[in-house]
Amino acid sequence: MSHAPLEPNWPARIAIALVALLALVTAVALAVTIGEMRIPLSIAFQALGNGLFDLGYPVSAIQQGVIFDYRLSRALMAALCGGTLALSGAILQALLRNPLAEPYVLGISAGASTGAVAVMILGFGGAVLTISGGAFIGAVVALLVVALLATGAGGSSDRVILAGVAGSQLFNAATATIVTTLANAEQARGVMFWLLGNFGGVRWPDVWVAAPVALICFGVCMLHAKVLDAFAFGADAAASLGVAVTRVRIVLFATTAVMTATMVSIVGTVGFVGLVIPHAARFLVGPAHARLLPACLVIGAIFMILADILSRILVPQQILPIGVVTALFGAPAFALILYRARRPS
Amino acid sequence: MTLAAHDVRWSAERRMIVDGVTLRAEPGRVLGLIGPNGSGKSSLLRLLCRLRKVESGVVTLDDRDLAAMTRRDLAKRLAFVEQQASTEVQLCVCDVVKLGRTPHRGALASWTAADEAAVEAALERVDMSERHDQLWHTLSGGERQRVHIARALAQEPRELILDEPTNHLDIQHQLSILALIRRLGVTCILALHDLNLASLFCDEIAVMHEGKVVASGAPPEVLTEGLIAHVFGVAVSIRAGASGRRHIEYLIDPPE
Amino acid sequence: MKQTVHATNSSIDREIGGARPRSVIFKNCNVITYQVSEPPASQRSRYDASGPQGSMMPRPTGPLRRALHALTLALPFALPFLAAGIAPAQAEATRYPLTIENCGHRVTFDKAPSRIVSIGQTQTEVLYALGLGDRVVGTAVWFSPVAKRFEAVNAGVKRLADNDPSFEAVVGQEPDLVTAMFEWHVGPNGIVGKREQFTRLKVPAYVSPSDCVGKDNSGAGDGVRTQMFSMELVYRNIREFGQIFDISARAEALIAELKAREDKAVASIAGGGAKDVPVVVWFSSKDVKGDAFLAGKNGVPAYILAKLGARNIITTNEEWPLVGWETVAAANPAVIVVVKMDRRRFPADDIDLKLNFLTSDAVASRLDAVRAKRIVVMEVGATRAGLDTIDGIEALASGIKSFGLSK
Repeated sequence: MSHAPLEPNWPARIAIALVALLALVTAVALAVTIGEMRIPLSIAFQALGNGLFDLGYPVSAIQQGVIFDYRLSRALMAALCGGTLALSGAILQALLRNPLAEPYVLGISAGASTGAVAVMILGFGGAVLTISGGAFIGAVVALLVVALLATGAGGSSDRVILAGVAGSQLFNAATATIVTTLANAEQARGVMFWLLGNFGGVRWPDVWVAAPVALICFGVCMLHAKVLDAFAFGADAAASLGVAVTRVRIVLFATTAVMTATMVSIVGTVGFVGLVIPHAARFLVGPAHARLLPACLVIGAIFMILADILSRILVPQQILPIGVVTALFGAPAFALILYRARRPS
Repeated sequence: MTLAAHDVRWSAERRMIVDGVTLRAEPGRVLGLIGPNGSGKSSLLRLLCRLRKVESGVVTLDDRDLAAMTRRDLAKRLAFVEQQASTEVQLCVCDVVKLGRTPHRGALASWTAADEAAVEAALERVDMSERHDQLWHTLSGGERQRVHIARALAQEPRELILDEPTNHLDIQHQLSILALIRRLGVTCILALHDLNLASLFCDEIAVMHEGKVVASGAPPEVLTEGLIAHVFGVAVSIRAGASGRRHIEYLIDPPE
Repeated sequence: MKQTVHATNSSIDREIGGARPRSVIFKNCNVITYQVSEPPASQRSRYDASGPQGSMMPRPTGPLRRALHALTLALPFALPFLAAGIAPAQAEATRYPLTIENCGHRVTFDKAPSRIVSIGQTQTEVLYALGLGDRVVGTAVWFSPVAKRFEAVNAGVKRLADNDPSFEAVVGQEPDLVTAMFEWHVGPNGIVGKREQFTRLKVPAYVSPSDCVGKDNSGAGDGVRTQMFSMELVYRNIREFGQIFDISARAEALIAELKAREDKAVASIAGGGAKDVPVVVWFSSKDVKGDAFLAGKNGVPAYILAKLGARNIITTNEEWPLVGWETVAAANPAVIVVVKMDRRRFPADDIDLKLNFLTSDAVASRLDAVRAKRIVVMEVGATRAGLDTIDGIEALASGIKSFGLSK
């Protein structure tokens, strides 16, 4: 990686940003035009125009609904989910100094499953709390438990990971206990479905919740981009460089937790994205977080959109769970990255 | 213009690691900290750069309490080099040195000419300029330490604290790094194991034993046979060496 | 061949589980002897949708009684024809030891079992319907409250578990027959026990043919049907119970009654217009707005649709594939069947939520079926292989008829 120019190369930066934006828009357009229902391209764009700008084209109500309410909101949610998971993965990999760290390492998905199951089977929250709400609360509770365990054990990166593993095991056991003792045969099999990520139920209200969360959290992360670079040699090195290590860790762990918990509560857990995309992004743009974080956001978003398209069209008439598709393509991609990035001996 | 500790104490797991240490680094001079393992050297160094909080006593910089300074201001004055810092990230030499500019750059600040100049100067001083774009992982141990020192220098500090910077290096690199440190012209406090190197390269020495400073001053006054025997438990004989400098010879039992 | 059926109206009352006798004809006769020359037309092995079936069980209605009264006068002349429709054939006494082939295994009975553990609500209800409730010593795997007409009988039967029972709980009842609804309870990967575990203890195990014939249970999940489910499998189940317990007459009567209801439902919408009507069956969804579990092409609901001449818009083999609403919109079904259940584990289990989604979702509310209110509510029992499947056929038939699609 060559050294940065004296002045920021604005033309180059703008060009790259435009290319990234174009790629993202293309991915969204693909997602909107591809699907089980054959809708001609022109109608698709007319429907988009109607929905976005109220242009008033004569499009049948069903086609309008499918393009705008189903496909577009779903594509945007996939983008937000993929982007934030990749972002969370990159931050956790930097803070915990572990290339295998990923968004669920802090016990968030385990906590979300317990929360969801508590609402589904124990009936927590009466009729007021939805499953998503229960999942979010469960995720937050799990994070607090993990934070407690981690600080009690000393608070170093290794301890945080161990606390995360312990917390995940704890909450997974809680979920299993509830399911096996209180659920009947069908419930038990039904609950596990919820945990597999799925974009099918996404509508515009979900996007209105997820988008601000994603954007604000992305802003917070970008503000800490230089600080994340400083963690390369450990917490002590970062502290000696003037970084308020404890405060930064709390802020960034909380930010990734909020992003991840929000996504998990809306669409379930989607694996591989948070683990693999940061490595792919690092391979493409280098390790400096000022470039890595936006790259993770864009690449994660595009990856998830494409994975969602595949999950809809790979098997005719059926939807594959998104986690299956991300693993299907993520695992070989990861192997390839590891191979290409092997250090010269 | 000095870094000083006043009766600082620090304990961990109910053991007193640093037990009432009072210490002062003279500006522009090299202060060596020696002592057996477990004497509290590393902990004291970390207290001096505020990586740990003192339990009692106070560390001052220019007679101001260290704890009262902001982290960033402190980092612009004081730099710390660990014994061995490694990373998984694929950084090149310039990336590592650039990290030293972190305290000088705000969250949204862009890279300035001053930053660039500081990095170049730092690499120049550790004699690694031509390795500017080389991957950090491909460097040898000695070269890596030099890059860490360059990173510390990029902070433009007036005080430099090093924790056993030469421990795992071969003798040639040990000597070159210590010579480099002497040439830097900043106030240095460094922890060392090798008594001869300490007496060769340090202007002053403080000896630590069980959390206390048992002697401090110029090497000839501090490093006496009696003290070494008492603190380190080894018998030595000290006399002038071939170059005329004091040489500490370890007396081991002759083989039967 | 000469067949003899001895029947009195009072014994019929008892033996068909306390239900009202379906045929008023027996009221005036005590003993009937028939001569039958060939198996009646009702013993068909394949159902097709080409119009009314041969036999019809008369229902006890006013004008019908008068007609039947007239008929009894012509009884001796009508008997052979009546026998063709009403008399169950092959209702012969069982010769023990009896060996039957069940899911690829040979199961032997030395005598009629008297202590049955039934694992699976539909099996239990079949046993009750055959009047064997007093022989059932333990039940398990319940999906919903027991059917009303069996409540009294069921009250006296011990329930081992609402869900899956343990092996020990089952054999602890010292049964001489264990019957299961699903192979994944008793089978090669049975979670209650493998067949060998039971046979080693000299307890015969019987699995409903509806879960193993034409079905591949070797994979995970609900298994995949390689051929469409058919009520013939349930009838075979009942018939085999008849043989096992030496109550073939009762079994045949029950089968005949169920078949008659099937046939009547099909006949009620005969007339061509219902042919090939695209229908979708919606079971539930994880998230009511999200992808839905719809009936696949070989399952029990698919059979119901096929029997009535409707076309299932889903063409995948899986029992309950997960399908997006866009796919449903693309297929534009004429009728939407929505399943009603007591279970509340997915929010979408609630029938009201499902109906609310159909009327409020941007896309679903525009479907032809929703706009024209062609929505049929089907009880969940109908989606399982058992007595309630017939209820499902009746519900859908009456729905299709009321929508005027059969005209």
